[in-house]
Amino acid sequence: MVNGMPVLAGQRILRLASFRYLLQHPWQLALTIIGIALGIAIIVAVDLANESATRAFQLSMENINGRATHQVVGGPSGLDEAVYIRLRVELGLRDSSPAVEAYGVSGEEILHLIGFDPMTNMGQETRFGALEEGVMEDLITIPGTALLAAPTAKRMKLDKGDAFDIDLGGRKHRLRLIGLLEARDRPDAAIEGLLLTDISTAQEITGFIGRLSWIDLLLEDGVDKKILETIRANLPPDAELVPAESRSNAMMQMSQAFRTNLMAMGLMALIVGMFLVYNTMTFMVIQRRHLLATLRMLGVSRGELFRIILSEALLVGVVATVLGILVGVLLGSGLVHLVTRTINDLYFVVTVTDLQLSAAPILKAVMLGVGGTLIAAFIPTLEAAMTSPQAALRRSMLEAHTHTFVSRLSVVGLALFIIGLLLLAIPSKALALGFASLFLLVLGMTFITPLLVMKCVSLSNQLGAGRLGVTTRLAIRGISDALSRTGTAIAALMLAVATTIGVSIMIDSFRASVSTWLEATMRADIFLSAPGLGSGRSLTALDAGLIRAVKALPEVTGVSEGRQVTIESEGKLTKLFALKLADSAQPGFQLKEGDPDVVWPAYRRGEAVLVSEPLAFHRGLRAGDAIALRTDDGLRHFPIAAVYNDYGSDQGKVLMARSLYNRHFRDRAVAGLGLYIQPGITPEVVIDKVKALAAQAGQQVRIRSNREIRAYTLEIFDRTFAITHVLRLLAILVAFIGILTALMALQLERAKEIAVLRATGVTPGEVTRIITIQTGTMGLLAGLMAIPTGLVLSQVLIHVINKRSFGWSMESLINLNELSAAIILAVSAAMLAAIYPSWRMTRTAPALALREE
Amino acid sequence: MVLALWSIPGCSRSPDAQADADRALSSFLGQGDSTPEGFARAETAREFRFPEDHGAHPDYRTEWWYFTGNLATDQGRHFGYQLVLFRFALAPGRVERSSAWATKQVYMAHLALTDVESQEFRFHERFARNAAGLAGVEASPFRVWLEDWRVEAVDGEDETWTLQAGESDMAISLTLSPLKPVVLQGDRGLSRKGPEPGNASYYYSLPRIATKGVITLGDEHYPVAGLSWLDREWSTSALSEEQAGWDWFSLQLNNGYDLMYYQLRHKDGRVEPFSSGTLIDPEGGTTALRREDVFLEALDTWESPLGGLYPVAWRMEIPLAGLEVEIQSMLKNQELDTSVRYWEGAVEVKGKQGDEEVSGHGYLEMTGYAR
Repeated sequence: MVNGMPVLAGQRILRLASFRYLLQHPWQLALTIIGIALGIAIIVAVDLANESATRAFQLSMENINGRATHQVVGGPSGLDEAVYIRLRVELGLRDSSPAVEAYGVSGEEILHLIGFDPMTNMGQETRFGALEEGVMEDLITIPGTALLAAPTAKRMKLDKGDAFDIDLGGRKHRLRLIGLLEARDRPDAAIEGLLLTDISTAQEITGFIGRLSWIDLLLEDGVDKKILETIRANLPPDAELVPAESRSNAMMQMSQAFRTNLMAMGLMALIVGMFLVYNTMTFMVIQRRHLLATLRMLGVSRGELFRIILSEALLVGVVATVLGILVGVLLGSGLVHLVTRTINDLYFVVTVTDLQLSAAPILKAVMLGVGGTLIAAFIPTLEAAMTSPQAALRRSMLEAHTHTFVSRLSVVGLALFIIGLLLLAIPSKALALGFASLFLLVLGMTFITPLLVMKCVSLSNQLGAGRLGVTTRLAIRGISDALSRTGTAIAALMLAVATTIGVSIMIDSFRASVSTWLEATMRADIFLSAPGLGSGRSLTALDAGLIRAVKALPEVTGVSEGRQVTIESEGKLTKLFALKLADSAQPGFQLKEGDPDVVWPAYRRGEAVLVSEPLAFHRGLRAGDAIALRTDDGLRHFPIAAVYNDYGSDQGKVLMARSLYNRHFRDRAVAGLGLYIQPGITPEVVIDKVKALAAQAGQQVRIRSNREIRAYTLEIFDRTFAITHVLRLLAILVAFIGILTALMALQLERAKEIAVLRATGVTPGEVTRIITIQTGTMGLLAGLMAIPTGLVLSQVLIHVINKRSFGWSMESLINLNELSAAIILAVSAAMLAAIYPSWRMTRTAPALALREE
Repeated sequence: MVLALWSIPGCSRSPDAQADADRALSSFLGQGDSTPEGFARAETAREFRFPEDHGAHPDYRTEWWYFTGNLATDQGRHFGYQLVLFRFALAPGRVERSSAWATKQVYMAHLALTDVESQEFRFHERFARNAAGLAGVEASPFRVWLEDWRVEAVDGEDETWTLQAGESDMAISLTLSPLKPVVLQGDRGLSRKGPEPGNASYYYSLPRIATKGVITLGDEHYPVAGLSWLDREWSTSALSEEQAGWDWFSLQLNNGYDLMYYQLRHKDGRVEPFSSGTLIDPEGGTTALRREDVFLEALDTWESPLGGLYPVAWRMEIPLAGLEVEIQSMLKNQELDTSVRYWEGAVEVKGKQGDEEVSGHGYLEMTGYAR
């Protein structure tokens, strides 16, 4: 405090001095804010997209479950409707409600069809709201009448009285809209896509005659165990009584791994973002060391200095966070479609049209944005405040200090890296542990980066002495001389590029494994299936007449028949693939364990089943174990003959011979055919014939040649990873801004130095050369160091994260082009970032730059 | 008993309670703005055949199986009960669809119990479609049910039925054996409700049914015995626009006589000339009663807390039978606040037939009073 100056006035002057500085450097301020905002935006976007999809699913489950506390569920072909009559009429369980469920497509919309009995209390009053007068009567008495969620109807431009078509498993049905469902006090997401019909209409259009999808029960709190037992005693062996929430949980579980990965992507983005925040805040403080030292010499106390800078950081943090949240929300609505599409492709059907704005992601963003900025500003501020004013006035002191700091930092980095390695060595299935070690490894590598930069620079100086030109040496020396600025920038770029390398290698390896698997597994020439949605209990079946006709085609030499169902037993959903192999076909499945000569005969005889690798991983199963599945005759244990490779499902599945399936399930539906055709005949000829047969049978079918189905599968694969591409791009953008900020700060600060160079006869072109070489070298160093980091990252992703998320093992495939592309990316990002600062440098008249002081 | 519902009132609740009640009532009364197309109508007398006619007549819009009775324990604790199952055709025509749930017919049931000693009246209402085994009727062996409320023939016997119905707070389990043969009401079973042809129903009763069983209230079981009455009626349209409601009596006297009489009231207060009834002697012989044969006078009223003034005590005089009785409700509040609000309850009868003192019990139903 200046003697005699009133406290408030003094603080105002300090604050003015601080803000004046910021205002004099608008670019730096803007880039700082943009950098932090981008980091925050990514977190918010990923969080919101993720949460919206989850929330939409939960809301629609809640809405559909209504007040139900329990559900009676059946096997692959649902439940006999007589079960409901027994419960309701004979046991007098009146708080019960039957449901027939299916997913259909109408235009662009995926509709969730539920057939219910509007006459039951639960159906009428609590689940779907009050019905308008006459609607209930029409629903019951007029076949093909339906109620549709109002927001969905609006999008489809449908109004009461309109007719529309719905495609269910390849068959079109015409429905008439006799009413709209309003969300009332719930969010629209609760009813989005919901299509209600009377249970009779639902049974008829889905072909689920005599069957129900499930029965809802409302049993009072603390329900008498005896009632549960009585209900169970009255259920046929294929039915099970389960708590209502366990079903939605089981379904949510299915997409857990996917969502965890998405979160990890968001975390990666955050780490990059945090680097940026630290980077820019450090610059903002370091650049003012001179000013701060002067203030200190004028008598400003450390505490005051501290407060001023932190309040400044707070302001920057708040502005950037608000901006970041806004951008994040915009970005999120784009992401949510990608997330939803992936979920619909792979897991269950969910209709998300709106981004759900919830408090948690925003709160998280505020904490990370504001808190992160403060923490990032804290260390340099502390350093600035603690340094004696005289020392602070000298630049060389700072750099000398930085060099000691860099050495210590690399020791910490090494320690983190080793801890990360040790964590990997722990045999565990915990995904969180995998992520922890991943971050430790990457963080460790990042911390070591500045030291490596220093070593590289001094190495090049030693080697280059006499060989390199003055400008080049000047440029390279500059990197290590200003390590406090360049170090973090290079580290941030390195991290972003390493992430790109790691994720690319992981995806490439994954894709290659899937491709190899497709080659091996898809042996048939043509695949024919009934279109279905989601992976819930599907009603989709091929027309029996069509199957007979296709088998009778002269070109067809062999047919394999597949049927995939989801078995709900003991609170778990298990995919079961019942497959009748074509006689001629060599099974294309690659066994992970087990002798094919023993396994396949046992499989064909129906003595044992196979489980796919992810299922074996998740449930801890091995060949020789048994898996319990609820069949039509009750719970049965099936011996496992082998574990096989399969990338088709991340929850995994059970492969069962159709003959064995038929022994335990009354379901006779076939959902897909694999056709083997005579050699020399082009698949297209047969495809046309099959299409004609399908048209005759009145069923729309998916028919693809072997080649097409591989392409299609890979397309789905690429679509799944589309979101990761977006996130990687964003991370690079964040890093780019980081390097731009660093260069701006560096070059602006070196204005005087450059001016001296210019005054001593260095041409603007040579200045540009110095800057270009310097930034190019920084980019190159970042790119080079990104390679080992990226490789480590990729191996952890492939062998730890992927394995623990999905249970898939894969060969890692390292593409050299990818690595060189990463270096080019790093160099060009750095060069691109140098354009503006170098343009400015060369434009400034040396006299002007020198006159500044 | 003239309940001619053709749609299910009250299933769709509107904010305007009175408009709702009015609409419900007009539905209840079988009053529509148009003559329903596609349904059969009760126009001429027909031949009744049993047990077939105990079953459903789905070509008509409305039909019911109406059980009421007065029962008592050995100690004289008195109960009244009502179990009625209504069948409604929501639309004309039969259903030919593949789903077992497809139907155009639905059932509604009301269950009520009057506990005179504790002055308590309980009632419950249910709906179910006539499909998939949820509700329905079978003529032989006789069975009518809505979920677990049911009346059905005891194994192999067409003449003895069991009646079972309950809710969380009450249950009745009774055995019913008719003491008199079927009585065809009106003109050989054709019961006209007004001058318009077709505004009529087919109507028969089992007027005196020996009843034994158990009534359960909470944890208490009461062995009871007494008499029940069954009304069976089906029609498509019964009442005209001008008719407001009715007062219906079924009385069982201790001298073996039974009596049914309904009076239809017009909105202007006039009594419909087509009001009618039947006096049944101890042997089952019948005497038709016309409007001019019966003098009815309300003695006392009870105001429903939900709105409406019900005449809950009556004097009835039938000179041609020498009958003069007072009819008193055993509990004033026997109003059912179901999707249609009406009063239906146990009554006590005291008076003279000629010189002979008579007493007995019965049921009184009053509609069109709720406001």
